Amino acid sequence: MAGFSYQRLKERGATMSEWGLFRSEEMSLCQLFLQTEAAYACVSELGELGLVQFRDLNPDVNAFQRKFVNEVRRCDEMERKLRYLEKEIKKDGIPMLDTGENPEAPQPREMIDLEATFEKLENELKEVNNNAETLKKNFLELTELKHILQKTQTFFDEEAQYHYVTHQMSEANRDDENAQLLGEDGMQAAGQSLKLGDGTQHVPDGIQQALLTSDEGDQVYKSVFIIFFQGEQLKTRVKKICEGFRATLYPCPETPPERREMKMGVMTRIEDLNTVLAQTQDHRHRVLVAAAKNIRTWFVKVRKIKAIYHTLNWFNLDVTQKCLIAECWVPSADTEAIQLALRRGSERSGSSVSPVLNSIQTREAPPTYNRTNKFTQGFQELVDAYGVASYREMNPAPYTIITFPFLFAVMFGDFGHGALMALMAAWMVWKEKPLGAKKIDNEIASIFFGGRYIILLMGLFSIYTGFIYNDIFSKSVNVLGSSWRNCFTDEEVHHHDAETLLLPPENRTCFYGTPYPFGFDPIWQISSNRVTFQNAFKMKISVLLGVLQMLFGVLLSVFNYRNFKQFSDLVTMFLPQVLFLLCLFGWLCMLCLLKWTMYSAPFEVGSGPEDAEAIRYGTHCAPSLLLIFINMFLLKDMNADAKGTGPGEKYCDGYLFDGQKGFQSFLLFVGVMCIPWMLLAKPILIWRQRRQQPHSELPETNGDVAAPAGGGGGGGHDEEEFSEVCIHQAIHTVEYVLGSVSHTASYLRLWALSLAHSQLSEVLWTMVLVRGLSMTREFWGGIVLYVIFGAWAGLTVSILIVMEGLSAFLHTLRLHWVEFQSKFYKGEGYIFAPFSFEIILREADSED
Amino acid sequence: MRDWLFNIHDGYLESLCRGFKNGILKNNDYLNLVQCETLEDLKLHLQSTDYGHFLANEAGPLSVTTIDDRLRDKLVLEMQHIRNHSVEPLSTFIDYITYGYMIDNIILLITGTLHQRPLSELLPKCHPLGSFEQMEAIHVASTPAELYSAVLVDTPLAPFFVDCISEQDLDEMNIEIIRNTLYKAYLESFYGFCKSVGGTTADVMCEILAFEADRRAIIITINSFGTELSKDDRSKLYPRCGKLNPDGIAALARADDYEQVKAVAEYYGVSTQWERVYYGVSTQWERVYYGEYRTLFDEAGNNPGDKTLEDKFFEREVRLNINAFLQQFHYGTFYSYLKLKEQECRNIVWIAECVSQKHKAKIDNYIPIW
Repeated sequence: MAGFSYQRLKERGATMSEWGLFRSEEMSLCQLFLQTEAAYACVSELGELGLVQFRDLNPDVNAFQRKFVNEVRRCDEMERKLRYLEKEIKKDGIPMLDTGENPEAPQPREMIDLEATFEKLENELKEVNNNAETLKKNFLELTELKHILQKTQTFFDEEAQYHYVTHQMSEANRDDENAQLLGEDGMQAAGQSLKLGDGTQHVPDGIQQALLTSDEGDQVYKSVFIIFFQGEQLKTRVKKICEGFRATLYPCPETPPERREMKMGVMTRIEDLNTVLAQTQDHRHRVLVAAAKNIRTWFVKVRKIKAIYHTLNWFNLDVTQKCLIAECWVPSADTEAIQLALRRGSERSGSSVSPVLNSIQTREAPPTYNRTNKFTQGFQELVDAYGVASYREMNPAPYTIITFPFLFAVMFGDFGHGALMALMAAWMVWKEKPLGAKKIDNEIASIFFGGRYIILLMGLFSIYTGFIYNDIFSKSVNVLGSSWRNCFTDEEVHHHDAETLLLPPENRTCFYGTPYPFGFDPIWQISSNRVTFQNAFKMKISVLLGVLQMLFGVLLSVFNYRNFKQFSDLVTMFLPQVLFLLCLFGWLCMLCLLKWTMYSAPFEVGSGPEDAEAIRYGTHCAPSLLLIFINMFLLKDMNADAKGTGPGEKYCDGYLFDGQKGFQSFLLFVGVMCIPWMLLAKPILIWRQRRQQPHSELPETNGDVAAPAGGGGGGGHDEEEFSEVCIHQAIHTVEYVLGSVSHTASYLRLWALSLAHSQLSEVLWTMVLVRGLSMTREFWGGIVLYVIFGAWAGLTVSILIVMEGLSAFLHTLRLHWVEFQSKFYKGEGYIFAPFSFEIILREADSED
Repeated sequence: MRDWLFNIHDGYLESLCRGFKNGILKNNDYLNLVQCETLEDLKLHLQSTDYGHFLANEAGPLSVTTIDDRLRDKLVLEMQHIRNHSVEPLSTFIDYITYGYMIDNIILLITGTLHQRPLSELLPKCHPLGSFEQMEAIHVASTPAELYSAVLVDTPLAPFFVDCISEQDLDEMNIEIIRNTLYKAYLESFYGFCKSVGGTTADVMCEILAFEADRRAIIITINSFGTELSKDDRSKLYPRCGKLNPDGIAALARADDYEQVKAVAEYYGVSTQWERVYYGVSTQWERVYYGEYRTLFDEAGNNPGDKTLEDKFFEREVRLNINAFLQQFHYGTFYSYLKLKEQECRNIVWIAECVSQKHKAKIDNYIPIW
């Protein structure tokens, strides 16, 4: 058996096609010829394999007119019986054995045995239940009677103590019939009876409440009451009312000895009943315990049979009635495994002829099937939530594995928060098996569990960015030694306003000359211009990352064009797109990088012409990128307002390097030219093609392609109207051009969210925890701190990790769906839904 | 003005109701249903509709009664869900709908006790939408006055009953009169309530209730021929909120035979403005569904194959109820949904009856909704 399953495992992880993860599987439409006797076994094998998507070949046939409708019905009936059993088992709180074992679908002939078993069990259980119910009813009645006798006893005893009352009452009661009623809602009934009564003596006496159980297992409170009345007519009336309000009537003997005797009788009967009841319960329990051991396996078996017959209903019968014809989508790489499974199935059924699997040509778009494992699955689902990839389109999921957590971390950068998040996810990953086996009822919890690997990566990346930002719960740590130190004397520090003191980078005593080795220098934590500094950095890095990701998206479109043989689009679409992006926004990124690398704070620079070069690339002369970029579009000269008046600032230059203006004009020209290129090239190309190729011959639309038997073949895609081509192209162009601008701006959300996150955590620190920390004078400061730390920790988790995390997650999702995927991803496919017992059983389980 | 704020309280329920409405069986489903050979087939097809597995836990063999019960249970569950989530004035509106069922239940119980049937047999037959606490005490009463003082005085039906209080014994005739008087009072009160709600609700509901009133008036008149009911008593039973009021009712009160009723109907039941606008394209449609009551009489017949007058009325009711869904922000959707769904239940039960009795000749006599 072990060898068997191992072999299967190998079959499943079949050879990856050339493109592996990066594209969906190659699929082929196959026709399957199955011997009628072998069909069941073969489909059962395929269900275990779970790699075949069958198509309904009789969509026009009613559900009840299909071939195997009787079998499906029998399965329904079996399921019903099982559900009944399950309900009874649950009622008794007997644990159901769930070994997680996966029995094979039983042979059709075993179905009769199963049916017989269930039938027997159900009947037995019903009988026991019926018996128990009658017994219980008896028991309840007797209990009611017992209570009545008790209550009346006390009632009459009390009465005897009050002489004159007794006198009156006995006078009135001499000829009366005493009826005790025990009814649900007795008080109200009593109230009603008062209303009806005219002149007769009613003594509504809601005595004490007795707790009783009704047969449905609910608890019903009942109260005892007693009514005295006169005359036959009134008796019928009272009886009717009591009936109407579901009160039960019991006769009550008149004399105390009789009452006592009756009570004795009742008591003995109750005892007898108790033993019988216990025996019945015992029997029921035994039956249920026996059933509980097997019920899971039975459910699996019945569901498998049902699924098989349901699938068989989709098949066509051959003319000779000897074989069934099925159509199915299969991953081309797995044909071997499927063949093997089919052979196994036919061997098992002892059929002489082996089933035939023929692939057929079709113009229909195949389903999209991406192989995933537990790690990639979450990311694939993120992509699929936007739209399932068209068949064989580049799949963004593999890149998402890295870019998604990374962009998230850019916004969520905090070592502490990231570590908490990663720990949580790591716990879920570690406890994966037990957690996964346990059904999670909570929808939100199951979503988190499903995305555990995504969360883990997000956490780890946040730790990394937290290091870069040097943020741990909004505080910085000085691990590697800051490159700055205080270069002022104590006096200077004390005399000056702290605000006006500046650590000049030119000063060697203040700045060592080498930057902090990794990430932000911790000195920024205590500086007042920290936010300004970080903003400049984060803003630039956002644009850089954004343009890089978009550029990557555009590059991916090359592979799509190549795959779909749209080579002309390489020139008419890809080239202008990539040029446009590079010339305008690529240049912006280039400027950022140049500014970072070319400008520095030089030491000991004079203001003479000999230091002109040093001054030009010094801190005072760094030009504004914003102005450069705007003036690039306006074709304005930068130098006009760049020359400052400070010492040596006459050497400043508005540009980073000589000839930049000309170069920028060139870039702008290329970029702008790309727009008409995008707009016109493709329509012109198509127009010329159509002129050369008269409409008379339609290329191979009605050629020798065998049309599949069921469901329309889809027909070749009709040639679009030329005007439509133009309109489409115009829309694409406008979308791309405007998109590049707005998408680049959209990436600034990386900066914004990151700023918000760091500010929020700082506020939380200073407004909450610092309050606690500053209370150190008295012993109770510790107690206060204890409470305040709780508040701070709670807020940190709920607001900073959960809420901020969700918001950063959403923004990342948007960046991927809109900004990244719009560059190459169509997402017009439909997902491969294989016939798989695993999926069917899982769905059935989640429905329970 | 109210329409702006409609969605605050009732938007969710209206959309829920419209969602339920989409589950109403289409013509196609009926075409499939009538092909069924057994009730099992019927069950299998219903599984593929919105009804889903509503019969899945029934032990075979199926009976028409079980199907009927389950259909009703599902509908009642939906309506109770809506009622439980509703706020004023929608909750009152839905309560008003249930009063109709309460009247039916009371009449059922009184008639049952008159024929000496035990209560335990009668109670399951009562419509759960119209059940109320005091219902089971009904057989105490032997005169209408007793019925009022013992049972009905605490129910919402009490104000409707004021006209029926008398010391006469309850007999068949009296019960019938009580039923119709109650119904008349109920319809008029419901009509008034819808008017007071105003807006689109009034537009839509008054149209439907007016038709209901007219239908009752006409049916009462036709059924009264050859009975002891005097013309005077009869005219007291006509609801006075229909389009026949007042002249048509006066004319109906004088009618002596079927032909005279038909003559009265000729003058009445002109379709409303917006109905004509909506279906204005096809005058034929207007004649069939929106024309005068006359067309209902013209097309009804007693020959085999003809539809009865009652069926014609049902058809028109269905049309009116469908129209209720053409407008938004009103309570008529709830009423109409219930009525359409009831019609659907009647259809399914009819088909199930035909299937189980192997009597396929009349199976097409259901009233399609879409």
